[in-house]
Amino acid sequence: MLLDALRPDLPGLDRARHADADSKSEPVRDRAGAATRPKGAARGIAVTVRDLRKDFDGHSVIDGLDLHIPAGQFTAVVGRSGCGKSTLLRLILGLETPSGGRIGLEAPEAASRRNAPSKRIMFQDPRLLPWARVVDNVAVGLTGLGSRAERRDRALAALAEVGLADKAGQWPATLSGGQRQRVALARALVSGPGLLALDEPLGALDALTRIGMQGLIERIWQQQGFTALLVTHDVAEAVALADRILVVDHGRVALDVRVDVPRPRRRGDPDLAALEGRILEHLLGEQTA
Amino acid sequence: MNRRLTPWLLPVALLAGWQAAVTAGLVSNRFMPAPLDVARAGLAAASTGELWTNLGVSALRALAGFAIGGGIGFTLGLANGLSRISERLTDTSVQMIRNIPHLSLIPLVILWFGIGEEAKLFLVALGVFFPIYANTLHGIRSVDPGLVEMGRVYGMSRFELFRRVVLPGALPSIFVGLRYGLGIMWLTLIVAETISASSGLGYMAMQAREFMLVDVVVLAILIYALLGKLADALTRQLERVTLSWNPAYRTA
Repeated sequence: MLLDALRPDLPGLDRARHADADSKSEPVRDRAGAATRPKGAARGIAVTVRDLRKDFDGHSVIDGLDLHIPAGQFTAVVGRSGCGKSTLLRLILGLETPSGGRIGLEAPEAASRRNAPSKRIMFQDPRLLPWARVVDNVAVGLTGLGSRAERRDRALAALAEVGLADKAGQWPATLSGGQRQRVALARALVSGPGLLALDEPLGALDALTRIGMQGLIERIWQQQGFTALLVTHDVAEAVALADRILVVDHGRVALDVRVDVPRPRRRGDPDLAALEGRILEHLLGEQTA
Repeated sequence: MNRRLTPWLLPVALLAGWQAAVTAGLVSNRFMPAPLDVARAGLAAASTGELWTNLGVSALRALAGFAIGGGIGFTLGLANGLSRISERLTDTSVQMIRNIPHLSLIPLVILWFGIGEEAKLFLVALGVFFPIYANTLHGIRSVDPGLVEMGRVYGMSRFELFRRVVLPGALPSIFVGLRYGLGIMWLTLIVAETISASSGLGYMAMQAREFMLVDVVVLAILIYALLGKLADALTRQLERVTLSWNPAYRTA
C-alpha cells in the first residue's frame, strides 16, 4: 500500500500538517500558517514511562523512573554525566531493553494509520555514510518507503529545509561539522517522525554553529509538531529550547521544571537566566551533597 | 602529462645506464645482456608466438587460481566477519594453516598432482586465499559500529545493512587484501612454474637457462615486473572508482 504521505507533491517535511488530510488537492506549502497551528495534536507521540529500570552488570543506571511526556512537547533532559540520561533516551527509543518497568508510546490515530516510522534519533556524531552522497544519506531516513525517485525528491526537500540544498551531490567528507549535523537532522526528519530524540546532537559543535542549529531545530519543531526529547549537558541550551526540563539524578527524575517563557526566546532573557541558575544550582548542589 | 611520466624516469634511467655499462664493456654480456639484446630476444619470441603462448598460459593460471583462492577467501572472510558461529568454527584452523609457508607444500603438491595444471592452481589459490580472507575479515570487523546502529535504527533489513553499510565500510581493507593477493599470485605462479611446468613464463625462463640464453631469462624477469605493475595499476584504478568518497583515494 502506498501511503498518502508518499505522494510526490508532499515533501516529507510538510507532511505534519496533513496527518488527517487524505484529500490530494489540499494546498501544501503554507509555511506561515503551519507555525500558528496548534502543534502536537496532529502527529506527536506521547511517551509514558512507568517504574523503568535498567541495570548494566548489576549496576543500576535507571532506577524506578516515572515520566509522562505529552504529544508535541519539547522536553530537555539534563544531568551530570553518568546520571543515566542517555540510557533513558536509548530505552525510550528501543535501542536498549529495559530490565524492568514499562514504556508506552502512544501515537495519534492518524499517525498510526499512516504507519510512518514513528521515532527517530539524532546522535552526538552525525553518523553519515561516508560512501553515500549527501542526498542519499538523507534518503536513508526513508528506508523502505516509496520508490527511489520519491525518496530522492523528499530527501532534496528535507535538505532544502535545513539550508543545504546545494550540497546534495557532495560527499559528507567535504562538509563542515555543523553541515554534517544538519544533514543528520534532515535524515532524522525526512520521514516525518512523531518522536525525535536528540542525544547531545550539538555537543561537538562550536558555540556559534550551535546557536544556529538550536534555532533551526526549534523552527522545524514548531512547524512539524513532533515530540522532541533532547538530552544535553548544556543547561543554557535546554533552557533556550525546551517546554520542560527534567533533571535526572541516580536514575530518577530529581527535578521537573516547566519553562513558561514565550517563544521566540531571546538569548540573555532574565527569566531564562534565572531558570538556568536554578537548575545549575540544583546540579551543583547534588555534587556537593 | 609531467606527473604521469615522472614515475617512469627512474626505470628508464636505469635501463639507459645498464645499456651504457654493457656497451662500454664494464659488464660481461654473458651474464648480463644489454637491454637492446633483451628487446631483440623479446621481439624474436613474440614473432614466433612462443612468448604469447607462454604469457597466455601463465595469465590464465594466475587468474584462475586468483579467482578460486580469492573467491573462497572473500566468502569465508564475509562469513566469519558476519557470523560468530562461523568464525568460532573455522578461524583457528585457518590461522594454523596460515602459518605454513604455502610454497613449502610444493613437494607434496607435486606428489599429489604431478606437474599438471592442478598443482599450479592449488598453490596460487592457497597463496591468494589468506591475504584476501584476513583483510576481508578485518574490514568487516572495523566497520564503525555507530553506523551499523544507525542503519538498524533507520529500519534497514539485514541485507540492506550489509549492502549499504558493512560492505562499503569494509571495502578499503578488502582492496588492501586484493593488492597483497595479486603480489602473492605472481610470486607463487613463477616459483611453481620454475620448479615444475611444461609451459608458461617460468618454464620459458628455465628452458632459456638450460641453453644459457641469458637475454630470455632477463626478458622473463622484466615481464614479471611489468605484469606486477599492470595488476597494481588496475587495482588502483578500481580503488579510485569505488572509493571516490574517501579523501585518501581521491587523487587526480
